[in-house]
Amino acid sequence: MTALLVTAVSARMSASTARRETLAMLDRAVVLLVAQARPLLVGDDTWRTFTLLRDTVGLIPGAATGHTRLAVLDTEGRVFAASEPVQLEIGRTLLGSDWHGQRLMSASNLRTRQQLALNNGAVILLEPIRSEDGQSLGYVFMEVEAPVFEPDWLALAKTALIGITLAVMLLAPAGWWVGRRMTRPVERLVKVIERVGREAPNRLRNEVPQTTDPELRRIGGAVLQLMSELEQREKAEARALSAQRLATVGRMTAAVAHEINNPLAGLITATQTLRLHGDSEPIRLSTVDLLERGLQQIRTTVAALLPQARREDRALEPGDLDDIVTLVRTTAVRQHITLTTRLEVESALRVPSAPLRQVMLNMLLNALGAAGEHGRIEAVLKADAESVHFSVLNTGTPLSSEKFNTTLDTESGQDPRGFGLWVCQELASHFRGGFNLDETTDSGTRLVFWLPNREPLEKET
Amino acid sequence: MNRRHGIQALLATAVSAITGPVAASAARLRIGLTSVILADQVAFLSRWERYLSSNVGCEVSFVARESYQAILDLLFSGQIDAAWICGYPYIRYESDLSLLAVPLYEGEPVYQAYLIRSRQLDVAIKQWSDLRGKVLAYSDPLSNSGWLVAQVQLALAGVRERDLKRVFFAHGHRNVAEAVAARLAQAGSIDGYVWETMRQQGMAAIAQTEVVWKSERHGFPPLVTLRNTAHPFRPQLQQAVLSMSNDGVGQALLHDLNLTGFTAGSPDLFDSIRRQAQTVPGSGVGA
Repeated sequence: MTALLVTAVSARMSASTARRETLAMLDRAVVLLVAQARPLLVGDDTWRTFTLLRDTVGLIPGAATGHTRLAVLDTEGRVFAASEPVQLEIGRTLLGSDWHGQRLMSASNLRTRQQLALNNGAVILLEPIRSEDGQSLGYVFMEVEAPVFEPDWLALAKTALIGITLAVMLLAPAGWWVGRRMTRPVERLVKVIERVGREAPNRLRNEVPQTTDPELRRIGGAVLQLMSELEQREKAEARALSAQRLATVGRMTAAVAHEINNPLAGLITATQTLRLHGDSEPIRLSTVDLLERGLQQIRTTVAALLPQARREDRALEPGDLDDIVTLVRTTAVRQHITLTTRLEVESALRVPSAPLRQVMLNMLLNALGAAGEHGRIEAVLKADAESVHFSVLNTGTPLSSEKFNTTLDTESGQDPRGFGLWVCQELASHFRGGFNLDETTDSGTRLVFWLPNREPLEKET
Repeated sequence: MNRRHGIQALLATAVSAITGPVAASAARLRIGLTSVILADQVAFLSRWERYLSSNVGCEVSFVARESYQAILDLLFSGQIDAAWICGYPYIRYESDLSLLAVPLYEGEPVYQAYLIRSRQLDVAIKQWSDLRGKVLAYSDPLSNSGWLVAQVQLALAGVRERDLKRVFFAHGHRNVAEAVAARLAQAGSIDGYVWETMRQQGMAAIAQTEVVWKSERHGFPPLVTLRNTAHPFRPQLQQAVLSMSNDGVGQALLHDLNLTGFTAGSPDLFDSIRRQAQTVPGSGVGA
């Protein structure tokens, strides 16, 4: 198609160029003929005029095909001699007569060079021949027919054919190859973009295509920038989470110390009792019981604390809720808050334990902060085939959705007051779940965290 | 410029040095002629020059011109020593010229004038009277077959020159044939020997023409010298020309010219031309 269009355009261009060149050549030929024919007309030399015309016409396009003819006319506009005597016989009156259906200017009116375009597309040039003193000696007549001005379709067709052949043989495969080269990086880039946020940036980064195309390089750079920012954000999240965990652990240390300290005081007393009254069977037995209960209590506390301080890689279990409750119960008891839990697990839990424990701890700590003295907290862990829900209700001052959103919108959870909840929201979005305020609750505030109940796409922390 | 013009230019250049009165040199003998009917005219003339030089005993060279008048001007001005001219200028300037040799065409020192026409004509030309309203090509104003014969025949047919559409001189018999072949002229008056020789050599123009009429036999265009200015080697030149048919090289040259030899000839050979010229007004030949 391109070759055809190019050929069509070049045909038009070559036609107009050929026409200009032919007309320029006619102009030069007329000048030559006027100069050469002058002495021949003066000498009334028909033969030499004929040979002059015959030799000159050979220089003009169309002579070989009989589309071009020259003549010298006498003062009356009759043929004195012509390059084609058969068509323009000697003595034929041309000026003032019909030629190819058109009347030519009469000899008396022909004072300067005339160029006529005939209806059949031919061009006629007429030029007076004058003596040096300005007397009219005759006229040069030139006719070039339309076919001379037409593009050489055969040559152009040949060119077009070559063009098309080249296009088919070289350009089409080359175009396909170039197209593929251009689109392949785009396809690869699209695939990478589709996987951003679901796969490790390190692996994706290597798959961003390297290309010399500035536009694609710009897009690729933007994708790399995006992944690098995501990575930074994930690192920040991880740092924040671990910091928060440490903070939580720190905050719990007092409670834990208290939990351990309580039985320790009893245990130390019991050891002294054993040292002093260990001989008495009843006292020894009751003291050993006391020791066992105290140690058991310490062990329970430590057992609940251990998973929190350890990065785990297992699915959540109902016992995890008990651990978390163990960790916060002391605080609840100290604030006289009633803490109840409920399990409604109807399906295997396939969500990671560490983030869920983190979420449950955060939500419970938040509820403890909000419930106030003598308040009530109700934690529910629900699970079905589709999702895992953990909701915490506290009977403190109800939290408005506006306040809830403001708390979460605090950039990067920098507001320490809302940090725990912000982490919950980040984890929810990371695991393609949700974290929201249940606005249907009449009394108090119920926050709901949920995740799809499926294996994570890859191991998450 | 076509080949013929090129040849003429070459020949003109070859003799351009000969200007102004030049004393007759014993070492050089110059012969003037109009173009011979050969494709390789220059090569032929140089062969003929070498042949004549070795037989005459002095350097012989040819000087070609387009018209008989130009040759006569060179002869009368002493720029050439001999000339090959037509029978008509010979009888016109008979008092100043002497015959050197007359060519033999098919064994005879005579030839005919032809009236030729184009084969493709849509109008029939069968005789001189058919030329009314037609274009007629002559060869040379001093040519017997190319002008004088036509004047006599047109007069006999009752055709005046103004009855013709146009007449023109083609500056040579060969050009007459070309003009008629190209249909620049519908008919032409031509030397029969030239037309036959062109046909024999397969020249394209001849195929486009045909002979309408042949004249009586006239004296063949002769070689002449000035009557009162004899070149010292004139006898040797005459002998060399007359004996060309006696040796192989001379025969080959004659064959190329489509001639069989040369004869000394006599003025009465040209009586028929003289009679014609006397009937033609302005022929320059008194009754």
